[in-house]
Amino acid sequence: MNRETVASGIKASSPIMVSYIALGIACGIVLYDAGFSVSHIFIMSVLVYAGAAQFLAASMVVLGASFPSIIVMVFFLNLRHILMSASISGFVKNRSLKFLSLFGHTLSDETFGINYSKFQEGWWTPSEALVTGVSNYGTWALSTAVGGMIGSQIPINTMIMNYALIAMFLCMMVLQFVSKPHIAAAGVSIILTVALTIVLQHNIALVIATVIASFVGYYVDSIENRRKGGHKHA
Amino acid sequence: MLSHPLFLITGMAIVTFIPRFFPLLLLSKKEISPSLSRWMSFIPVSIFAALVASDIFFWEGTFNLNPVLNIKLIPSVLVILIALKTKSLLWSMILGILAITVMWLIV
Repeated sequence: MNRETVASGIKASSPIMVSYIALGIACGIVLYDAGFSVSHIFIMSVLVYAGAAQFLAASMVVLGASFPSIIVMVFFLNLRHILMSASISGFVKNRSLKFLSLFGHTLSDETFGINYSKFQEGWWTPSEALVTGVSNYGTWALSTAVGGMIGSQIPINTMIMNYALIAMFLCMMVLQFVSKPHIAAAGVSIILTVALTIVLQHNIALVIATVIASFVGYYVDSIENRRKGGHKHA
Repeated sequence: MLSHPLFLITGMAIVTFIPRFFPLLLLSKKEISPSLSRWMSFIPVSIFAALVASDIFFWEGTFNLNPVLNIKLIPSVLVILIALKTKSLLWSMILGILAITVMWLIV
């Protein structure tokens, strides 16, 4: 891996790294307040590396939930990554087990988003994608540890920090508006997510909404193709 | 201090790694049919829409479409417009943060 690859991977991840520093510190503070030591916070970020799951664990520990129930909740929260892992797999064909393990382990929502968009531009390489993933990962792990050391000395507005990621996802969504069926899928996904979240009161709503919406997009695309009578690539 | 947090951490690590790694391992080895890959091209946009929707339409845990109470709504419209115009993650994030901070200060 040469220097340009590393530089270009880090450049791509820089906006995410900045927001991970802020959110990671916030997450470390919350975990520390929940009773985790600084070293356990760091170990958790290295082994688990899932911001949403870590925030969830902190709040469930505070509520006195049992370890198995937290682990089951984290599992459901992470089901969406099956879809991300599957849809990005076509860009990292025939890589070593070592590469795939590290790439998979560092595949957060944000890393997926940035790498998927870059891969679609056509010139992005698996090595650059891995650098992006690992630099986000390292930033997150260190920031959560720093958060644990700070403890609750600094008040951080988590809502505003979290909104940085929402703004990023909004932009990533817009970047995926490559055809009418893709816009339709987004619309269906939004409506279903809201409806199912209200009904189910559970994060699994995201997964169900995503699967149904992607089928609707596929179906609309098929109808359009048939009407045009031509073949349109995905 | 929490007792035996490493048990919790190990359990969380396993259920986080499995869904991220195995689809990658199983699917990156073989050729995917054109219809499967066409379907999968709709997953990212649906995921991002779902991630956003599960956040911005809810305020303190309940569905809320009042832009004065749920201060994420107006900045989100703004971010979509910025994203359409600039196609830039960085600008979307910077102006989004700015917008939500302004909302937070005035409401």
